[in-house]
Amino acid sequence: MNPKTKKLLIGILIAGLLVAAVAGVYAYAGQRAFISTLFSGLTLGSLFFMVAAGLTLIFGLMDVLNFAHGSMFMLGAYIGWQFYTNPTFIFGMAPFLLAFGAGVMVTPIIKPYLIALNISEKLQKALPKIAYVLALAALVFAFVGFDILSVANTAMVAATTTTVGNPLAELSAQEPLSTFWLRPFLMFVSGLLIAVASSRPGDKTQFAPREPIGKKLLMPAALLVLTALSTLVRESASESVLLMNGNLRFALSILLSVAFGFVFGAVIEITLIRPLYVRPTFILLMTLGLSYVIRELVQYLWDPLTYQMSRPPLFAQPGKASSIAEWLQKGSSTIDIYGATVPTYRLFIIALGIAMFILVIFVMTKTRLGMIIRAGVQDPQMVEAMGINVKAVFTVVFAMGVALAALGGIGAAPFLPVQPLMGDTYQTQGLITVVIGGMGSYIGAFVGAMILGMARAFGDYFALKLSLSPAIAEASTVIIMVIVLLTRPQGLFGKKE
Amino acid sequence: MSEQIPGNDLLVVDRIETFIGQFHILENVSVCVPKGSITVMLGRNGAGKTTTLKSIIGLTPPREGKIIFDGMEIQGKQAFNIANLGIGYVPENRAIFRALSVQENLKLAERKKGDFERKSDFIFELFPDLKRLYKLPGNHLSGGQQQMLAVARALVPENKLLLIDEPSEGLAPILIQQMMEAIRKLSETTTILLVEQNFIMASQLAERYTIIDDGKTVQEGLMKDLIEDTDLIHHYLGASIKTRKELEMEHESEN
Ligand SMILES: Nc1ncnc2c1ncn2[C@@H]1O[C@H](COP(=O)(O)OP(=O)(O)OP(=O)(O)O)[C@@H](O)[C@H]1O
Ligand SMILES: [Mg+2]
Repeated sequence: MNPKTKKLLIGILIAGLLVAAVAGVYAYAGQRAFISTLFSGLTLGSLFFMVAAGLTLIFGLMDVLNFAHGSMFMLGAYIGWQFYTNPTFIFGMAPFLLAFGAGVMVTPIIKPYLIALNISEKLQKALPKIAYVLALAALVFAFVGFDILSVANTAMVAATTTTVGNPLAELSAQEPLSTFWLRPFLMFVSGLLIAVASSRPGDKTQFAPREPIGKKLLMPAALLVLTALSTLVRESASESVLLMNGNLRFALSILLSVAFGFVFGAVIEITLIRPLYVRPTFILLMTLGLSYVIRELVQYLWDPLTYQMSRPPLFAQPGKASSIAEWLQKGSSTIDIYGATVPTYRLFIIALGIAMFILVIFVMTKTRLGMIIRAGVQDPQMVEAMGINVKAVFTVVFAMGVALAALGGIGAAPFLPVQPLMGDTYQTQGLITVVIGGMGSYIGAFVGAMILGMARAFGDYFALKLSLSPAIAEASTVIIMVIVLLTRPQGLFGKKE
Repeated sequence: MSEQIPGNDLLVVDRIETFIGQFHILENVSVCVPKGSITVMLGRNGAGKTTTLKSIIGLTPPREGKIIFDGMEIQGKQAFNIANLGIGYVPENRAIFRALSVQENLKLAERKKGDFERKSDFIFELFPDLKRLYKLPGNHLSGGQQQMLAVARALVPENKLLLIDEPSEGLAPILIQQMMEAIRKLSETTTILLVEQNFIMASQLAERYTIIDDGKTVQEGLMKDLIEDTDLIHHYLGASIKTRKELEMEHESEN
């Protein structure tokens, strides 16, 4: 039998089995239970995909298995939840981070001039070190006397205790501007020093043409303006955000989480991963360690507690809508789908997952970045030799992966308890998804995620119905992985090496 | 070494030493590539020709020595920066991107938006086959077609210098002819440093040669002198004895 007909036969066989299984379950469970379980499966699948998409993107290009992905998912949830529930902490930190960023972003402007300096080799070696130390000192001074915990804690207390009234009522007054301004200023100086250090003054092996600085000026200038703005409104902004329409506030939370994930990812890649590309096992250990650091940091700021983020108004009104139009109009919390009652927020998560999938496909197949990524998966050296800065592409891809994880996190936050371990299940399931789908394949990640989601949902359903242990549902995903690995070691959509 | 016109060299590789891991691959390689010419690098398998090209483009940066391109020292700079100065690299073994279509392979090579549109007529005139294969994924091309695509890719942006590594490798004789024509046409506008085992092809194309042996430059000069020097060819390019015979036959048929 030639391999093509064999493949076709196997395909038909699997499709037949699948149809039979679906029909069997449908007949057994009845329409209502079947549909509501189906939607649970799709919801879980979407969440798994959000984690797996970033994992597989990063692994495909960079061979980095990011064990901190689950923590980044969690961090995305926390950031979004904070902004949605009580943005005091976010606004309190914004001037610091923005000012620091503005300083660092000066790098491309000053680098060509610093490189051109004629200084002795000794000084060349010493200068970056001195600058780094000074940067650290400036950073520490910027925070002296600033009670970061109280900023975080007020937010926490407000978020947990006040469902009624103004969550900002308990806030203690903040430092007056006349002294506070020094803090973002010091952060800016710290960023500048980092810019100096990382430019390696006098090191002529580097290459930085002196292009017109117009475009390069845009980024630091914009950040400085934002710094000034956020310094001025650091107290009043929280209140106006909370007065905002809840749906809009949720949309902004999503944007903020994604932006945060992107920047965070870029910073992690540049500072922690880049120096380790020559030692791949160290990267694995580093990301594992990073996941603990992130978790501990979150516990330190917000205590090891569990929070429940309230759903945005569009999904919050009690009552069941009979149609999508009615739901959108009333903001009902559930909707009737062929007799089954499905929480509307689940539809949102499913839609988010599908939108992400389409976005990833679009980027990979239709944009230059996608072309570079697909070429780089095969031969990064050749891509570099064509004049493309592969290092920068790695940074962007890692940042995009983390942004996807953060998007998953904030998407899941109104649906899952927000707590420091919330990403762990998704990390594991995301890894299994990637293995099933095929390392590096985003279509595989989507199909794998949906298979796992269904397995979990229907596993749970049967475990409950037949009073079996719920561990069956969890085990089912691993069993699927084993079956896939035995029959197709490269994963469903993976390419043979 | 031999006659050089200072100031007219587009590329000067000056006594470079390159390590791969702890292996000392290039021990002392020097190459001069005068502007507007084809210079060929000869040497046995494993002599270090490919490594020399990779050292120039920055994929295996040299630890010692200088590389001067267009009056600027480029050793130690990052590969993408070097490429962007106007150097195109055609790797050996047809390293095209298999997951990308012919079109995408060519588009990816753009350095400025619209590079490909500007050059497409020129490219398709040199390699008419590529026009027909435009939409096919790279892994559906035959070996020869991949080789053409690899060369075509380096023609998309404006390059001052092309580094071409064994373009005739594994091509049928008729395709070798076509490739030679293409390279000759290219040399009208671009300086070329060529690595080529096929001595006939090398000797017909190049004005200058450099012989590398065991990681060292052992001889360089004008191609017309090398053709006369059968001992030298025999000594360093042992494998090409047959090529020499073929050459003599050709000379006979010409006379
Ligand atoms: N990655 C590597 N690690 C160790 N040694 C290498 C590596 N790449 C090349 N070498 C060695 O460097 C030497 C020069 O290799 P290079 O590819 O430059 O030869 P070449 O002249 O291009 O040969 P050919 O004509 O066969 O293409 C060879 O002895 C080869 O074994
Ligand atoms: Mg070679």
